[in-house]
Amino acid sequence: MMEEWPVHNISRLCLAHFWVAFASFLAAAVLGTYQMWVRSPLGAHIGTPGGYYMSVTAHGVIMAYVLSTFFIMGFGYFVAVTALNRPLPGKGWAWAAFVVGVIGVVMAAVTIALGKASVLYTFYPPLTASPWFYVGLVLVVAASWVWCVLMLVAMTAWKRANPGRPVPLAMFATTANAVLWLWTTVGLAVEVLYQVLPVAFGFVQTVDVGLSRTLFSWTLHAIVYFWLIPAYIAFYTMVPRAAGGRLYSDTMGRLTFIFFLIYSLPVGLHHLLMDPEHGNGFKFIQVLLTAFVAAPTVLTIFTIPASLEIAGRLRGGRGVFGWIAALPWDRPMVLAAGLSFVMLGFGGLGGLINMAYGMNAMIHNTAWVTAHFHLIYGGTSIIMYFAIAYEIWPYLTGRQHQSLAPLRWQLWLWFVGMMTMTLPWHWLGLQGQWRRVANFNYDNPIIASWGPLVTLSLAGGLLLLLSALWFVRNLVVLHRSVLPAPVRSLYALAVDPPQRLPMALNGFGLWNVLVLVAMLMAYGYPIAQFVIAPSPTAIVHRTE
Amino acid sequence: MAEPSDPRIVDRSWRTWPSVAVIATVLGGALLGVLIIPVVQGRSAGIDPFTAICRALGILPGSPAVPQIVDRNPPTPVSQVVWTPQVLQILAEARPERGRAKVQEVCAACHGEQGISASAEFPNLAGQSGTAIYKQLNDYHTGSRSNQFMTDVAKALDETTIADVAAYYAGQPMRNPSPSTLADAPEAITHLVEIGDPNRNIPPCAACHRQGAGGPIDAPVLSEQRQEYLTSQLKMFASGQRRNDVYGRMRAIAAKLTDNEINGLAAYYRAGFR
Repeated sequence: MMEEWPVHNISRLCLAHFWVAFASFLAAAVLGTYQMWVRSPLGAHIGTPGGYYMSVTAHGVIMAYVLSTFFIMGFGYFVAVTALNRPLPGKGWAWAAFVVGVIGVVMAAVTIALGKASVLYTFYPPLTASPWFYVGLVLVVAASWVWCVLMLVAMTAWKRANPGRPVPLAMFATTANAVLWLWTTVGLAVEVLYQVLPVAFGFVQTVDVGLSRTLFSWTLHAIVYFWLIPAYIAFYTMVPRAAGGRLYSDTMGRLTFIFFLIYSLPVGLHHLLMDPEHGNGFKFIQVLLTAFVAAPTVLTIFTIPASLEIAGRLRGGRGVFGWIAALPWDRPMVLAAGLSFVMLGFGGLGGLINMAYGMNAMIHNTAWVTAHFHLIYGGTSIIMYFAIAYEIWPYLTGRQHQSLAPLRWQLWLWFVGMMTMTLPWHWLGLQGQWRRVANFNYDNPIIASWGPLVTLSLAGGLLLLLSALWFVRNLVVLHRSVLPAPVRSLYALAVDPPQRLPMALNGFGLWNVLVLVAMLMAYGYPIAQFVIAPSPTAIVHRTE
Repeated sequence: MAEPSDPRIVDRSWRTWPSVAVIATVLGGALLGVLIIPVVQGRSAGIDPFTAICRALGILPGSPAVPQIVDRNPPTPVSQVVWTPQVLQILAEARPERGRAKVQEVCAACHGEQGISASAEFPNLAGQSGTAIYKQLNDYHTGSRSNQFMTDVAKALDETTIADVAAYYAGQPMRNPSPSTLADAPEAITHLVEIGDPNRNIPPCAACHRQGAGGPIDAPVLSEQRQEYLTSQLKMFASGQRRNDVYGRMRAIAAKLTDNEINGLAAYYRAGFR
């Protein structure tokens, strides 16, 4: 099978992307642990607030923009070649985009390290960093746009060569993510190019914070689905195969990714429920649409366990729950999916509280929110990034893992660490522990009462750092392995593989139109109001 | 005649129904969020339906569910300075060379032509932030701050001249710090400057007063300031005699400082590189 795939043509491209992603991930994991340490009673007197915010900025920028974007790009190139079984179109463009992206990362990293960009990854105008920080991030996004175009070109070329045939689900989902990302980055791009850069270069001295927050909210929710979709691609196309079964329904998979595309965009105002610049009516509309984001998750909670049940019963599982025990939990992909689902359960229920207008008021700007996005992104998504890396690395290197035990240990450690870190953190948020704060005064009796839980959280953070180190170690060990890679297919077949699909389930034309309509209705007036009746602007605060 | 299984018919229904579903969802949300809920909530809050709907849309301020509070006692601002884009533009276009002429004519007698004051009761202005000088001169001009000499001087200045003078002094270099003032400060004072005292709700001085720090843009730089001047200002803030600090920030902080701390901080800031 390996010989049929032109994967060796792009293995260097994919590995370059993955190593940028994972090397920076390791640095960010160290910074994250430092932050947990100085927030806890154990390290409360270490460092300065300036150093803390510099660290938070670096941690957030790497995890949110570098790890995610480079991993997703590398994974996309891999899927385009292996799922479509064709060479990657525009490989030169892909390399050029990689170089541009790396230059962008270096620019952002240097400005952060010089203390000229401590604005956190969400920017928070009127805080203003060195312009080169934003230019660096624009380059990373521009590189990802090249990737989006290449994904669209690859899918279109395949469809032209295979008229009437269904696009393989893995590629359909990857292209859905590329389309989603193009829509997602519009808000961020308009904010940075139209508002933030003129301020950062000193052309203007004030900025309309309401508008910039609104534009960022456009990006801020959809971006987490951009990060999450690789996990879902693995759920639908790799997990059933790894478990030894078949995908219960190919159509459910397509619908899931389409739901993500439609309902992750016109929902960002739920990040601004406590902001004064929007009317309650538009907040309500977007909260209602946010509720529909649960739909793809519900479809997945049905489809993937159904697929696993097929595998479990094929392996001899009996009874109502016997198939669960019969699953091959020793395989990293299956184990990671199980652990990911548990974290998705907790994180998803927490997310329902965030999106509910009334309940959000209780946890807004508390540590609850930080805990939530660590559990969903750091937990549910990243553990699947690990599993995907373990699964496809042998195809890229031609070498096989010598033992799966260290892989399993690493995944378990990540799961236990993430749960230990985030569950007490959620609870602290309910107690009112605030977020984005550099130090806590543990002489205060209320804050002192939080101490034990913060320390427990720190213990989780230390386990996560250990797991991150172990992950990179496992990959390095694989590069030195002498076992040849197995010859087997990677992607799951559906129980009932589609022969012919309606055009709507085989492309994105219709869905783009619907996204446009929904965005106009949900974001049209909330953005237009800043032009119709401009609000007082805020004085820029330069962090340089 | 197309069969029901004809791909074109299948495609058409796949186009129609998802479109209907998505648009109906958004419209249903709009109907509830902009029409029904505001009208019902407004009724119990005594708000007429039209106002409630306008509030839900964001055209009128306020929530459709809560009567707007009418403030019968609007507060009197402690300073008339507002950092509008126009004011920032005036500062950005200020001309230090014009400011120098005014300084030689009026200010130099007490504050020195280079901004090094003639006597310990007058503040040094060399290298002071332009926005800080602008705010204080404006406050003297409008009566928000008063001083037997400065009130009359500032009343005679127009806004452009104030900006020019501020730009001139902001551009004067600080002195080379004298080694005699660079002695180590007591640890308690350094702690107050860098960390503050959370138990007394005292934020660190450096958070606002260090060159390039955060905080309000009109916060003055304190490095190389006259010790006597700082002591007297902190005591005036503490007693409430000086009250042109927005939100009463400095009055709140100074009132919590002991005399020893006030003297220690003033001595700390006499030195350079603070």
